[in-house]
Amino acid sequence: MTTIITVTSGKGGVGKTTTSASIASGLALRGFKTAVIDFDVGLRNLDLIMGCERRVVYDFVNVIQGDANLHQALIKDKHCDNLFVLPASQTRDKDALTEEGVEKVLKELEHQGFDYVICDSPAGIEHGAVMALTFADQAIVVTNPEVSSVRDSDRILGIIQSKSRRAIEGREPVKEHLLVTRYSPKRAHEGEMLTYTDIQELLRIPLLGVIPESEAVLQASNQGIPAIHQKDTPVADAYQDAIGRFLGEQHPLRFVEYEKPGLIKRLFGGK
Amino acid sequence: MPRRREPRPAPALELKTTRLAGIQVILNSAEHAALDTHLSTLFAATPDFFGGEAAVFECGRLPADAPSPDWAWLARELKSRGLNPFAVQNASAELAAAAQQAGLLVLNDVAPTPAAAAAEPEPVPEPEAVPAPEPAPSATAPTRIIDKPLRSGQRVYAAGGDIVVLAAVNPGAEVIADGSIHVYAPLKGRALAGARGDTSARIFTTHLEAELVSIAGVYRTFDAAPDAAVARKPAQIRLADASQIVIEPL
Repeated sequence: MTTIITVTSGKGGVGKTTTSASIASGLALRGFKTAVIDFDVGLRNLDLIMGCERRVVYDFVNVIQGDANLHQALIKDKHCDNLFVLPASQTRDKDALTEEGVEKVLKELEHQGFDYVICDSPAGIEHGAVMALTFADQAIVVTNPEVSSVRDSDRILGIIQSKSRRAIEGREPVKEHLLVTRYSPKRAHEGEMLTYTDIQELLRIPLLGVIPESEAVLQASNQGIPAIHQKDTPVADAYQDAIGRFLGEQHPLRFVEYEKPGLIKRLFGGK
Repeated sequence: MPRRREPRPAPALELKTTRLAGIQVILNSAEHAALDTHLSTLFAATPDFFGGEAAVFECGRLPADAPSPDWAWLARELKSRGLNPFAVQNASAELAAAAQQAGLLVLNDVAPTPAAAAAEPEPVPEPEAVPAPEPAPSATAPTRIIDKPLRSGQRVYAAGGDIVVLAAVNPGAEVIADGSIHVYAPLKGRALAGARGDTSARIFTTHLEAELVSIAGVYRTFDAAPDAAVARKPAQIRLADASQIVIEPL
């Protein structure tokens, strides 16, 4: 039984692709056979974050249109043997994603014995984003601690509740998770940012985790290594905790309390 | 039933009030030819739609100077189509007298019902409709109840009645009702009560933080926060003098 997880947000630039890469890698590291699909046709990024951009031959749209089979298009990850990337097409637009085509690819992944399929949604609420959430079993809604991001997340939750297959067919609804990213405890403490409790109060869905703002994320992106592989950084630890909670483990929230600078200085060398 | 076993038997006759469910035959014209043509077309496809229901002629919409319809003929025609007309209501003295002559009762002082007041034709049997008993006409539409958060971009409309929302109305969401709106949670989006012009509609919430409220088209935005007495507190919003939005703490 394959579980389809859509990583979505409405707003752009909040960390969907970073999160997709890290969640997919984290699940694969725990032994699950995992595929991550880039739905951002025309603006493909996932292959860069996963560091496989030079190995893209065929893409998602090629598979949908029957120009290549799934086996040819799936790229095996460098770090995990049981993680595969299905890149987006850079030369098409999002209308190339048809509902039948997406369904066919997902069915085939299920047939190949994948445990998890992560759908990395494009920003916005248009066709590409809707295609990414149509077949979701679970949704991770990535939100930054600012009002515009929270409102867009709210909007996308409404769309999940009306346009997903589960909603249309009246099955058990898509399980929704809130992931707050780029969180700065200091700025939240000082009132410059929304706190994660503010966000949760408005969106009213269970909190999967809080990922702190960190320079490690940008470094990881530039190197093409998912942030979860940056050992012993708060970001990697926070993603590991989030994956644990996703799988039903209990972990206390970390990296959300603002501590006195003296202590932080001693621990992290002056950040 | 246990009552039956009581020693004293029920009296042979009892009197109680009842409300009769029946069909209104609303007359818009008294002209024989027009009525005859319309009856024929109305029942052409479904001659057996009715099964002996009681019927009343509603005369409130007839022009004041209309001649009396041929009551006896009209009653016969309806009877042959499964309706049992037994009375006229809202008839002028002249029409009432003629109806009485034809053996119909005259119901006096019947307030025109909503169905008669609205410009809607009598219930028309849909061609090929499955014959079904007419539902008893209810005064208002049932209250709509929403128990999930209303999210940005979502809009719900309660046609003809009230709406009760048990979860948050988030910024960018819209709740619209022809009647009143009750939100037992934070109201952070827009609320539009009395959407069809009912100035007596009101909005109630346990936490007022709305972007916009409107009653019967009179609206108020909250660019500046509302009074401290009501901001983020239980509040009632109503219309005073048909043009002034009033917000009061609850």
